[in-house]
Order: sequence, then C-alpha cells, then structure tokens
Amino acid sequence: MSGPYINRELSWIEFNGRVLSEAENAQVPLLERLKFLSIVASNFDEFFMVRVATVKRQHTLNKASTCPTGMSPKDQLTAIRARVTELSERTYRVLLDDIFPALAENRLVRVRRDEWDSEQQSFVKRFFRERVFPVLTPVRAMEGDSLSAVGNLRLHAAFLLEPSPEARAESVGLAAASAISETTTPADAERTDGRTTSDEPLMAIVQVPPSLERVVYLPTTDADVVAFTFLEQVILSEAYQLFPGFSVTEQCLFRVTRDADFGVDEERDEDFVEAMEQVIETRDRSDVVRLNINRGSQRLRRILTDALLLEEDEVYESADPLELRNLMDVVSIDGFAELRDPPWKSMPSPWVEEDEAIWDSIRKRDILLHHPYESFDPVVRMVQEAADDPQTLAIKMTLYRTSGNSPIIKALERAAENGKQVSVLVELKARFDEERNIGWAQRLERAGVIVVYGIARLKVHAKAMLIIRRERHGVRRYVHLGTGNYNDKTAKLYTDLGLMSCDDTLCYEVGRFFNAITGYSVIPGLQKLAMAPVGMKRRIIELIRREASRAQGGGSGLIIAKMNSLADPEVIDVLYEASRAGVEIRLNVRGICMLVPGIAGVSETISVVSVVDRYLEHSRAFYFENGGSAEVYLASADWMPRNLEKRVELMFPVENPDIRRRLRRILDLFFQDDTKAHRLLSDGTWHRIDAGADGAAAVGEAVRAQEAAYRRIRDRLSGDEPQNRQEFKVRRKPPK
Amino acid sequence: MQRNGTNKDKPVSTTAAPRVVSVIDIGSTAIRVVIAEIHADSEWITLDRASRPLSLGRDVFLAGFLSSESMREAVAILKSFRELLQGWQIPPDSVRVIATAAIREAKNRDTFLDRVQIRTGFKIDVVEGIEENHLTYIAVQHAINDLRPQFARSSAMILEVGGGTTEIMLLQRGRMVAAHSLRIGTLRVEQQLQAPASLTSNDRVEEYLRENIRVNREVLNSELRLDRIRYFVAVGGDARIAAQRVGKKEGEHFSVIDRSAFERFLWELQRRTLDECVRELNLTYTEAEGLLPALLSYKLFMEATSAQQLIVPDVSIREGVLINFAVGRRGPMRQEFAEQVINSTVGLGRKFHFDETHGMHVAQLAVSLFDQFAEDHGMDEHARLLLEVAAIIHDIGNFIRASGHHKHGQYIVENSEIFGLSRSDIRILANVVRYHRGGTPNSGHTDYVSLRREHRMLVLKLAGLLRVADALDRGHVQRIRGFTLETQDEDVLLRCDYSGDISIEQYALRQKGRLFEEVFGFGVLAV
Repeated sequence: MSGPYINRELSWIEFNGRVLSEAENAQVPLLERLKFLSIVASNFDEFFMVRVATVKRQHTLNKASTCPTGMSPKDQLTAIRARVTELSERTYRVLLDDIFPALAENRLVRVRRDEWDSEQQSFVKRFFRERVFPVLTPVRAMEGDSLSAVGNLRLHAAFLLEPSPEARAESVGLAAASAISETTTPADAERTDGRTTSDEPLMAIVQVPPSLERVVYLPTTDADVVAFTFLEQVILSEAYQLFPGFSVTEQCLFRVTRDADFGVDEERDEDFVEAMEQVIETRDRSDVVRLNINRGSQRLRRILTDALLLEEDEVYESADPLELRNLMDVVSIDGFAELRDPPWKSMPSPWVEEDEAIWDSIRKRDILLHHPYESFDPVVRMVQEAADDPQTLAIKMTLYRTSGNSPIIKALERAAENGKQVSVLVELKARFDEERNIGWAQRLERAGVIVVYGIARLKVHAKAMLIIRRERHGVRRYVHLGTGNYNDKTAKLYTDLGLMSCDDTLCYEVGRFFNAITGYSVIPGLQKLAMAPVGMKRRIIELIRREASRAQGGGSGLIIAKMNSLADPEVIDVLYEASRAGVEIRLNVRGICMLVPGIAGVSETISVVSVVDRYLEHSRAFYFENGGSAEVYLASADWMPRNLEKRVELMFPVENPDIRRRLRRILDLFFQDDTKAHRLLSDGTWHRIDAGADGAAAVGEAVRAQEAAYRRIRDRLSGDEPQNRQEFKVRRKPPK
Repeated sequence: MQRNGTNKDKPVSTTAAPRVVSVIDIGSTAIRVVIAEIHADSEWITLDRASRPLSLGRDVFLAGFLSSESMREAVAILKSFRELLQGWQIPPDSVRVIATAAIREAKNRDTFLDRVQIRTGFKIDVVEGIEENHLTYIAVQHAINDLRPQFARSSAMILEVGGGTTEIMLLQRGRMVAAHSLRIGTLRVEQQLQAPASLTSNDRVEEYLRENIRVNREVLNSELRLDRIRYFVAVGGDARIAAQRVGKKEGEHFSVIDRSAFERFLWELQRRTLDECVRELNLTYTEAEGLLPALLSYKLFMEATSAQQLIVPDVSIREGVLINFAVGRRGPMRQEFAEQVINSTVGLGRKFHFDETHGMHVAQLAVSLFDQFAEDHGMDEHARLLLEVAAIIHDIGNFIRASGHHKHGQYIVENSEIFGLSRSDIRILANVVRYHRGGTPNSGHTDYVSLRREHRMLVLKLAGLLRVADALDRGHVQRIRGFTLETQDEDVLLRCDYSGDISIEQYALRQKGRLFEEVFGFGVLAV
C-alpha cells in the first residue's frame, strides 16, 4: 500500500501562494508586503528554471512520469500554468489596486509614465541622456532569429522600427549601434546588411542595463513625497533617440527564463572548476522555458514567441512593472520605518560569555543557537578565535552558500596563513551561487587552505565545522552543527538552529565525516550522527517505525517534525503506517508537502501546518516521543529524495535534556500559531488558520510563532537560560 | 571516540603532556590509519580513523607482484593520510606504518617500500605473520579484559581471518598453547579457485574452505582439544560487520553474536548475490567480496569447538601497535606477553613430547645465569626471552632421534611458530638450539652464515649461556637447584646449591663451557 500523494510542483506553487497571501495580508506593513511580492516573483523564476524546465523536458522527451501521483508531465504543465496564471493575476491585483495606492497615501508614489508631469519629463530626458544612453546596447534582431543571446532573467525592451522618410540617409545609425554590440555575431551583421532594404519589420532589442539602479527617483513638488518610476519605463519613454532614421512603431518589455537544470560533467575531476565555469556560461544559452511579456505589443509578442520557439502556453503576459524582483529596491529605500516591521534585534546567547574564550563557554555545556533571534556571532567567533589561537591545530568546515566577503572566509584565510591546517569543502554546485563560489574558493586555496571542490554526483549540503585544539590535558575538539549555511547574511533572515558542543563521541564522528568528505576515508559507520545518502533515510524510517511499534504495543506515539519540504514517498508511506498504528504526527512543513493528512484509515492522526512570516522558516528538527525518553534531532536535510539520496547531509541528536525541552517548546509553538500559519486539508488545499474562526483555539490572545520565539529569547524565557546559583532559595519567613 | 584503559574519565595526567600518535596499517584489502592520544598513565583514546579500500592482496596472492597501479594508489592514499596526520601535527617519530601479508609476500616489496619512503617519507615496517598474532593478541586482550576470569577457567580460540592470512591462537585456561599464522585468506580463495569470489558459486567457496580448514583443524586438535573450547573470539573487519548486524554490544570494546544468529546471518548471506549484499548491508564491493569467505571460515573453525557465541572485539592489529606505543617495552602487559611466549613454547614442546622437567629447569638456570652475568654480556630483555625459549625446547629434536637431536631440533624450531616471536626471532632460536651442543659455527653452516652479523653474535652468546645451563642439568635429574655467580679474574665461578653428586655436571661443564669461554672470555666452573 502506498500513497496517496500530492503532486510536488503543485504543492510548491501552493507554498508560493502562501507567500503571496502574506503580501495580501492587510495586517502586514506595506513595505513588507511589497517584499513578499518580490519574493513570490523570484521564487517563480527559480521554479521555472529548475522545476518547470525538468517537467517540460520529461514531456518533450516523452518520458514516463516520475511523479508518484502518476500525473503525466503534460497534465502537470497544464495544471502549473493554470495555477501560476491565477497567482500572477492575484499578484498584480494586490500590487496595483492595493499596495501601490496605499503606498501613495503614505507618500511613496510610483508614477506611471503617462502620469509624469513636465518637470519629471524633463528630468527623465536629462537622466536618460546622461546616465542611461551611454550604457545601452541596442541589438538588431530579425524575425526568426533565435534570440539566443538574450540572457536568462534579464529584462529587455523590444522595438519594432520603421525607417522614417525624412531620415533614410541616416539608417546607418542602427547598424552602427549593432556593430558595437558584443552580442552580435559576424553572421548577424551580414544578414543585417542584406535585409535593411527589405519590407520585413525591423526589430531591435535593448537589455535594461543591470549596472544601473532599477528604481529611478523623480523630482516632486512636495518635499515630503518620494516619487519613483522604473528604469525600463525611462528607456521606453526615450527609446526613439536610440534609432536615428527610424521611428518606433511598437514596443514592449520582456524577459526569458531559461532551463537551469543541467548538471556539470561529473567525470571531470581534475578540472572540475573549469567544467563548472562552463555550466555557468551555458545557463545563459540554454532552452527558454518561459517568456514574460508586458501588454505593450501583440505583434511583438507573436514575433518573440515564434523566435524563441515557444508555445502560447509558455508565454505569461502581465501589466507593468514586468520585473517584480525590482520591488526589493523600493523596499530598501531609506526611511518609511512606519511601513515596515518593527526591528527584532538578535540577542546574544546567554550561554556565550563575551569576555571568555568561546571554548570555555562550550566546555561548560552544549550551546543551542536559534537564529536569527539569537545572534550568529558565536559561530563567526568560533572560526575567528580558532584562526588566531595558538592552540588550534586544525579547522575543518563545509561551505555551501557563503559570500566571499564574509568574516568566516576571512578568518579561514587568516588561519591558514597562521599555519593551521584548514580544510574546507566548498560546494560549487550550490545552484546560482557557483560563480561567486569559484572566486573565493580559489582565494582560499591561494592562502594555503585545503579546498575540496565537492564530491562527484553528490552535493554536500551538511553544515558542520570542527576545530581541533591542543589543550593542557590533551587534544580536544569542538563542533558546530547546524541546519543553515555558514552565511552571516542569511543567518539574519532564515530561522535556523545550530549546536555547539565538545562532546567526545560527537566530535569523533564529525571528524570521521570530514575524513570521508575530504577523501581520506571510506564512509564510516556512525552511531550518533546519521549521514545521507548512506544512513539517514534508514535512520529516519527506523525512528518513525519505533514510534509506530510503541503505539501498537498499547503506548502512545508522538512525532513532531519541522522541515522545509516533505516529498519522499517512502518516508511518507512510513508516516502513513505510523498513523494507522495510532501515532500522533504533527508536521510543520514550510514548503512542499506531498503527504495528504486527515484521510480516514490512512493519515487520520497527521496534521500539517506551514508558517510563512517575516523570517524564512529553514530549520529542520525532529522530535520522537520514544515512550517518554524523547529523542530530538536536528538536520541539514529535508525529507525529500533529493536530500536523502543525492546529497551529503547530517542529522545529529540533541542530548542535553534542557536543550531538548527547549526544542520541544519551539516545535510546539508552530502548532499554536493562529496568525501566520496555514493548515493543509485532506483535499490538498491550504487554509490560513484564523484566530477568530477556530472556536476553541481562539481563547486568549492570538499566537504568532516567530514573534513568540523572539520574545522568549529577548525576555530570557526560552527555558534554557543558565541558572545563576549564587544564592540559595531559602524557605523561611522574612526576617523582622 | 573510544576510551581505553581502566579509568573511564578523561585522564588528568600530571607528569608528561599527552602524546598524539598514529598507526597506519597497509593490509591486504585496505590501508587504514588510526590516531590516538596516549596519556602518561599509558591510557589511550582513539581520536580519529580513516580507511581506504585497496586490494593489494589480490595483486600479490594472484600474481605475486604489486601492480604499478596499486603502488600508485597506495602512495596516493598514504599521501592523503600524511595530510590528515599533519592536521594533528603528529611528528614523524610518533607514526608507525606497518604492512602485513600482501606486502610481506610481494616479490617487489623492496621497490614498494623504497618508493613509499621516497614519495611519502613513511618508513614501512613489514610485520611477520606470527608477529601479527602477537599484536592482535595484545589488542584482543585489552578489548576483552572483562572476560579474563572466564578465560582463566576454560579453553579459548582467537581467530582472525584476513585477506592473506588467518591468525589463530589457542588458549588453555588463559595460557597460550599454540599460535599459528595460516596461509588461508579471503583473497586467497580467489587465487586458489582461479576466479574472483564474485564469480564463484558460494558452494564452491565453502567446499574449498572446508577442505583447507579440515586439515588445519586436525593439527590444532593435537595441540588442544578443540571440542573443549568454550570461548571463540573472532577478530577482524568481517566479524565486526556481522556483529553490527546481528550481535549485541556487551562490553565497552566487544560484541557478542549467538552462534545460531551468526549461522542464520551467514545462511542468508549465502543466498544473496554480491550486489544484494552491497545494497542491503550497505557495504563497499571490497567489503562484500571478502565477507562471505571470512564468515565461512569463522563458522568452519567454530564448528570444531563447543562455543555457543562469537566474541567480537572492536580492535585490530592497529590497536595492538598502539598499545605497544602506549606501554613501551615495560609494564605488566609486557610481562604477561612474555609469559604467553613461554606458554606457547611449552605447548610446542609438548607437541613433540619433550622432557618438560629438564627443559624448564635448564631454562631457569639459563635465565639465572643471564641475570647474574648481565654486566658482562650486555644483552637486553628480548634476548633473555629468546634464551628462555631456546632453553625450554633445546632438546626438542629428541622427538626424531637422540643422535643429532640438535640438528633435528633446529629443523623443528625453524618450521614452527611460537606466539609473539617474529621470523627472525625463530631463525635465531633455531640456531641457538642447533649450537646448544656439538660443533660451533663454521663457514659451511649456511643457516648460521645467512644471519645478520649482530644476530650471529647473539646466537653465539645465547648458545654459550645455554650450554652452561644445560651442563648444569646434565643428569636430567635437577641435582643443581641454583647458583650464585662470582666473577674472578679470568673465571666465572658458579657456587651451586645442590644435592647429591654433581661430578657429572662438573664434567659436562668442562666440555660445554668452552663456547662460553670463547665468547665471553671467561672460563666457567661449578662448585
């Protein structure tokens, strides 16, 4: 018996729908809503590049469905399109009818091109001439041309041109412009010459230059008002200046999304970096899977659709602004604090003393860090102190998505220069970060760091750091294991959990993990840790089954699991088994959930909630009641085949009982949330849990999990604070 | 992390700083490294391990040579281990690199040793088969320390099935009665059957092993009644794989598998293809290939015993080397080791019906002479042990014929194994036995001439001492119980504690004391 399941792609779209619903949520400050819209858009970009591209390829190659629901690729594409179109309509409705007008009321005004006053118009002209024109590169593109040079996700303007009778002699203008274009091949140029005299429509495209700010601020009469437009509107408005001798008859904006789901040639070990660089180049030339276009010109829409070899159902037409990711630039505008969330300051961990070495703190007790409520600084400090500490022998760590100017990279460089052995596994295959990664990885290598550029056919997604120190009584090791990347930037935006420890066995096993991923050793058998792709799935299944057998034996069973996605059919089936055995299963799944809860005889005891709030929920934590002797694990992996079978991941136990209790309280919080949580119903739809609507749950104040988590830590009420035993609590009457 | 020693808390050493050491083991199927921290009180903690599969044994046992690819790969692995060791800042003198059967038997071993030293700086120590036994024993003894009382009451077999050899030790009430290094190994199955294990039917493998092991079982049975063995200790990676699957951890360093569970596991294994083993047991191909022949070997040996469980320690030869590091050449473990060498020697003697009373008595006199004469002979503890062993079995050749028994003895010893002694020790011993009577060495004696110079000297010194001790029990009736040694100008005077008439012994000493005089420059007299 297996299933039922929800289709993975459709489940993912529902997640983006939940993000969108935060943008629609009138309780959320306006600029935050704008931010959610921008996130919805960039989420969809990645979804098309990776997921839709994959399904589309399955469809074109006539491959059998890999979806455990059995849904054919064709049906998936149809369903995807329908749902994406709905969400896109909702997106523009809330943006144009709700958010922009509301922002305008708050003196942040987006001014459409047809609304520019004369002063603004002359500002735009000057701005175009001085700032924009010099960096524009118009390219002539004939109908039927492949448009292969149009880069992935880059916003372009397209123009249809006609020679203007009074300036035919100057028709060399465009040819001159194409001649300076880097993207024009000699073949293009030849054809251009041959065709200028024909009657075919002339099309030119211009990339909106990525080097310029996308948001253009316009002068206003009222000093309290901030007015803005988008760069592409400036270009559309002034485009006629680009084509002397021609008049622009039609124009539009468009962007293409290309297939980014192709791997690097894994056989190339020696020159893997080079192979990776080629992948990055290819990404700008691969097949187009989507065309976004604004409502400027139906004729251009047809020409572009044909030229890109697309079907109509791969074209998504929308209002302006076409490029919603640019809204992020509006979000980051100075001022307007009243339109944003009140800041939540990251608190220092009460277990980390400022004025003692981090090692001393860790030796006292294991330390759990809950980011971003708790600061990421101790993790950075761990690397920095190790780098400068004469007792440190070696540092080993994995780096998945990290920025080159991060303090961690700098500390690692310094450590190597200080003569420590520094070994770093850099996952070059971290999608869309490859280019950045190659740069700083090579810099580390030059500093003397042993850099391992990943593992063939597997992505290393585990987040682990090991420091080896020589101390007075012998060698001691310290580990940090986490659910999030070693990236001080995302640590402020993603909720993650990290554990610092010097437990001998844990450190020993982390050491053996590093031996395996740096090529010193075969994959070891591990007791405390579980490692994907070798043992983690088996361990997870064992843990779920153990709960089931406890429940069957007359006891109770309880599983609480929090993850980003639940998509492994095998694990889902075991969860169904456990549910049938009577185990209570509470799942907190932020994104994709292929499990169907609440079906009689299958998943009656399973409930699924998802929280979408100001921080991206990113931590993975699994609680198993185990008949009263609870076990809690943290992991870098979701319960997806991708994580459990194609990546190197780590799952580690939390053994300190105080920390375990604290984690249980964190996990419980999400099921109390009636503000930012959605519940998955047995029909596969998601519904916002409403404080007012849900009778019994509405008693008392509404709960917002992230806010509650923040407050607990701010007010030192997480239940895991050090007890200062400086005095006894004496039971006596107060002295007279 | 593994904690070792009696004190389970992190040892707080007060004297010397703990030392991080490493042992690299170049085996028949893999190269492995273990890194440990040794504390002043000789306790040690395993810090790190790594291993990479490399089938050197397949090369050597099939073709006799290490292939150049294997050598390249071995060098690459050792280089990566060197990098790992650098991370721990382990100085070169704290690293021991040992190699076992595959390298030992490779015809191009010298090339390999040289290449490794040039490319990696590692100096490889090739361990002799029987020395492997000794190192394994040290590790096993450490791991199953808790079982010591049980072992002291009954008989036990310690068996390690490797790629190239099978190490076997028989203990009677805790005493080592025999130790052998058999040329049976999981990789040799392939060689013998002329086909990779993966292509051979499981039945053929079993049949082949059964035949081979039957012969050995008979020999072993003459040394110790196998059917009385109650404890069966299975050492080695394959046994550990089985223990992980069907065993239960009983002590800190060992697991126990019920015989029936083990046989069931093996039976299931036999019905699986190699691919299924790899997949279902989560093994590498190298591991999976060796697993079945190894477990079959354990089963076939165990069948001869009455043991109902397999005791599987989580240690290997590497831990044996580590313990050697930890305890140095002293300490109680060392003494126990010497006792087991003696026990094993006695076991060998009994196999050849030696005159145990005479042998033991001569050994006692010889050791006494060694100790009292220490200032003038300048030999070490190991030489003392060799002297004791040689004295115990000096007359072992009588088993064949009294006439020329020193030559028969040389042959027997040369072709025997004694627990804890290396090949070169055995060659020295055989020569000492040879020269305990009869002529002294000359250039025609190839067995003597082929020894290294310092070993030739050792043979002469030991034989000189042994002849004196042997003379003191010339009558084989232990009239001289002991003596005090006095050094006079040019003579050594032995003041004997005796009963009865010792004129035969005095006469014998005059004959047999000449070598002593030649070697040490002192005449020797008994009064």
